[in-house]
Amino acid sequence: MNIRLEHVSKHFKNTVAVDDLSVVIEEGMLICLLGPSGCGKSTTLSMVAGLEPPTQGEIYFGDRPMAHIPVEDRDIGMVFQNYALYPHMTVLENIMFPLKMRRVPRAQRRQRAEEMGEMLQLTELLRRKPGQLSGGQQQRVAIARALVKEPQILLLDEPFSNLDARLRIELREDIRALQKKLGITTVFVTHDQEEAMSISDRILLMRDGRVQQYATPEEMYRRPTNQFTAGFLGNPPINFVPCTYDGEIVTVEGAPDWRLPLDRLRPCREGIAGKAVLGIRPEDLYVAERGFCTAAITAIQPLGKEVYLKLAAGPHQLTACLSWDHDYRVGEELPLAVKQLHLFPARPEEGGGAHGL
Amino acid sequence: MGSERLPLRVWARRSGLKAWLYLLPALLILGVFQIYPVFKSFLMGFYTKFDYLTDTVYEWGLDNFVNLLHDADFALAIQNTCILVVLAAPLSIAVSLVFAVLLNSNIRLRRVFQSIYFLPFVTSMVAVSIAWSWMLNKDFGLVNSVLKLFGISKVAWLTTPDMTIPILVVLAVWKGLGYRVIILLAGLQGIDRRYYAAARVDGARGLSRFFHITIPMLKPTLVFLSITTVIDVFKTFDEVYVMYSNDPGPLKSGLTIVYYIFTKFYRHWEFASAAAASFVLFLMIFAITLLQFLFTSRSRREGRR
Amino acid sequence: MSTKLRRCLVRAATYLILVAGAAFILLPFVWMILTSLKPSAEVLLMPPKWLPSRIQWENYVEAFESAPFLRYFCNSVIVTVLITTGELITTILAAFAFSQLRFRGREVLFLLLVATMMVPGEILVIPNFVTLAKLGWVDTYKALALPWCASVFSIFLLRQQFSSIPEDFHKAARVDGCKDLRYLFTVLVPMSRPTVVSIALLKIINSWNSYLWPLIATNTNDMRTLPVGLAFFSTEAGVKYNTLMAFSLMIILPTLVVYLFTQKYIIRGVSNTGLKG
Repeated sequence: MNIRLEHVSKHFKNTVAVDDLSVVIEEGMLICLLGPSGCGKSTTLSMVAGLEPPTQGEIYFGDRPMAHIPVEDRDIGMVFQNYALYPHMTVLENIMFPLKMRRVPRAQRRQRAEEMGEMLQLTELLRRKPGQLSGGQQQRVAIARALVKEPQILLLDEPFSNLDARLRIELREDIRALQKKLGITTVFVTHDQEEAMSISDRILLMRDGRVQQYATPEEMYRRPTNQFTAGFLGNPPINFVPCTYDGEIVTVEGAPDWRLPLDRLRPCREGIAGKAVLGIRPEDLYVAERGFCTAAITAIQPLGKEVYLKLAAGPHQLTACLSWDHDYRVGEELPLAVKQLHLFPARPEEGGGAHGL
Repeated sequence: MGSERLPLRVWARRSGLKAWLYLLPALLILGVFQIYPVFKSFLMGFYTKFDYLTDTVYEWGLDNFVNLLHDADFALAIQNTCILVVLAAPLSIAVSLVFAVLLNSNIRLRRVFQSIYFLPFVTSMVAVSIAWSWMLNKDFGLVNSVLKLFGISKVAWLTTPDMTIPILVVLAVWKGLGYRVIILLAGLQGIDRRYYAAARVDGARGLSRFFHITIPMLKPTLVFLSITTVIDVFKTFDEVYVMYSNDPGPLKSGLTIVYYIFTKFYRHWEFASAAAASFVLFLMIFAITLLQFLFTSRSRREGRR
Repeated sequence: MSTKLRRCLVRAATYLILVAGAAFILLPFVWMILTSLKPSAEVLLMPPKWLPSRIQWENYVEAFESAPFLRYFCNSVIVTVLITTGELITTILAAFAFSQLRFRGREVLFLLLVATMMVPGEILVIPNFVTLAKLGWVDTYKALALPWCASVFSIFLLRQQFSSIPEDFHKAARVDGCKDLRYLFTVLVPMSRPTVVSIALLKIINSWNSYLWPLIATNTNDMRTLPVGLAFFSTEAGVKYNTLMAFSLMIILPTLVVYLFTQKYIIRGVSNTGLKG
């Protein structure tokens, strides 16, 4: 079943949590709601779930408007950040709980719960209480409980944030595989860009209640439509350099001598003129004889297979991510070339600041 | 789904109707039996002529309060109660503090001691008072026989007026020891061990650690406890009534305020004067609570500085 | 050497004081038990004999038969059960409303109720008697139980507990179609079991031992509860201290048993009362 949000807004007392959001989530897809905290992603999820009514706009599941349909009739499964497993019930009872609420006959309830447990490798743990399980196991139970009633839609609210890094990677792959297998439409909230990139079909990036971009991870990374998107995705984060653009020539502020390869320029929008911001991904920088500028190394951060360099290029600070094939030294001067350039209109209210560093 | 039902549902949600339904049973009982009576007893204090069965009042006035002022018994009740409070409250707290601190050190059988001290709290005060009065029996009581071993002659505990208050003080200490020890232990355990370590490094010895760390850190607990203890002792009744066989002790030496109210009400059926007296009790307790409130909020402010 | 000796002495003194305290607390109980088992001839002796020459269980039979003990006992059980159930119901529902539901005036109402906590129970006695007299309920179970079927303090305790349960549980339950009353009783209450149990236990002990109100609210022997019955019996019994002590012990015994088996909860509940200050 697809999910459609049409001009959905949510206002709390003095704040606008979600502002005129319109989006279609196709059937069988795994969508990530991504953004910094307070961007409205959890509120959006709550509205889809029916836990919060939208202030304006309409949400459709398929063709059915959801306005007056209470949560329990929406046919959704949901996993919460702290799992919300009932501590006084065993794992099996927890998984059976949604079926019990739907008055599924006892024997069938048990059978379905056990099957679900098996799918998530919980068979040995069914008799235990949640308190006796590890974080990863609790997470599996929560997923089993959400899926046992075979819902049309699965919603996950920051499901991995309480787990350590290794488990997180393992579990998100499991979820991805399970979601593919069941073909269930899934919406997933996270603030971790790497997590979003690695498992979703599409990412809905939000900020201050507004959509920044809605695209596949690849599209969003390679063709960010605004400065915020470009800055939010990628680690180390993209370099931003203030400049001016007259439709043909880019002049970097404070360094007019940079000879940028304009054939590799990708303006995010037609018709940018005047003040703009140049975006250069660290991995798009490389050392070549005929570079656009020379930069001095100010710091070196080796990372095994590659190395991050902090560079001073004229008045600007750049980060480059290079392969480890040369003995770099602090103070060394490197000629830099670039594979791809992004150009965004300058947004004075943000002072051109990138997200993160 | 019925579209006409919707407005009703919306209205119900907006007004919080559901919440009020959940509150209804509690509010009904609290309202009728715990909130209304406060106002009622205040009003009843001004009834001078009324019929309690039909609850009709024929005359209002200040007579009851005036009579209280002139009633030597009421003055005596206040005097006895105050003496009792002044003696019993500090003593109980001091004794409890000693026991709590001892239990808080590294003691074996701590649980067992704690359970024993708590016993009086769970037992009927009536049963216990009868046992005490039996132990204090002049001719055959355990207490006198023990005293005799030390060559002290018989004391007529229950018929000597001067003995009444001391007996009630001992009983108050005995009755509340366990409760206070538990509250104090909770407070003591809330004190960060590191303060003691720091004090040790600074060269503070046992007793000075107690006075410079334990007592100041325990202040909120001590204030709370002194208020509850004072209020508890203020309301002494059961033990007097039972120990002295429905009598306020020899020469009314055990006449407390609650006892006075009870007599006015239950013996003499003077509802209005009893209500007036109970309102005075309420005011006194209110004043104590208020004092506590001012005291704690002041010390909290000081703590913040 | 001397510090070691000193430490030993301190230890010894500590234990000595603790044991003395325990003896002081236990003495009346021990004396009660010993007296209750003595033949009448050995009760009134000076100096008293500590141990009875033979154990006379008949005192208990006599106490049981001499007063309408069974009647008092049943009354006490009925009243205690009524009060405890009543209080649990009102408390759980109210704590739910105060912690989980949003409605106008919630905080103000709660503060108002908390303010009534400092009203001493004694002042309620007279107006409540008048109210119940007007309803014609004096000397009924209703009169004995109803006024105590709600307690602000318990609501306060349970609300704190309910509020400490993360909001996600409520949401998770709603997704599964479990809400309001059902959520309250299948999720919130079981998750708050220790608090609910300590509230119930403190109430049981309190109502079992309460004296002033049952004394006032009853006027026939048929409606008296155990403590009231005991007080009346004590004036009748005169010098039959062995029977009297047997009677007293039979009142104490049920609460004692409850206490011994549920100490953890009771002590927890009591320590919680200290936190409100």
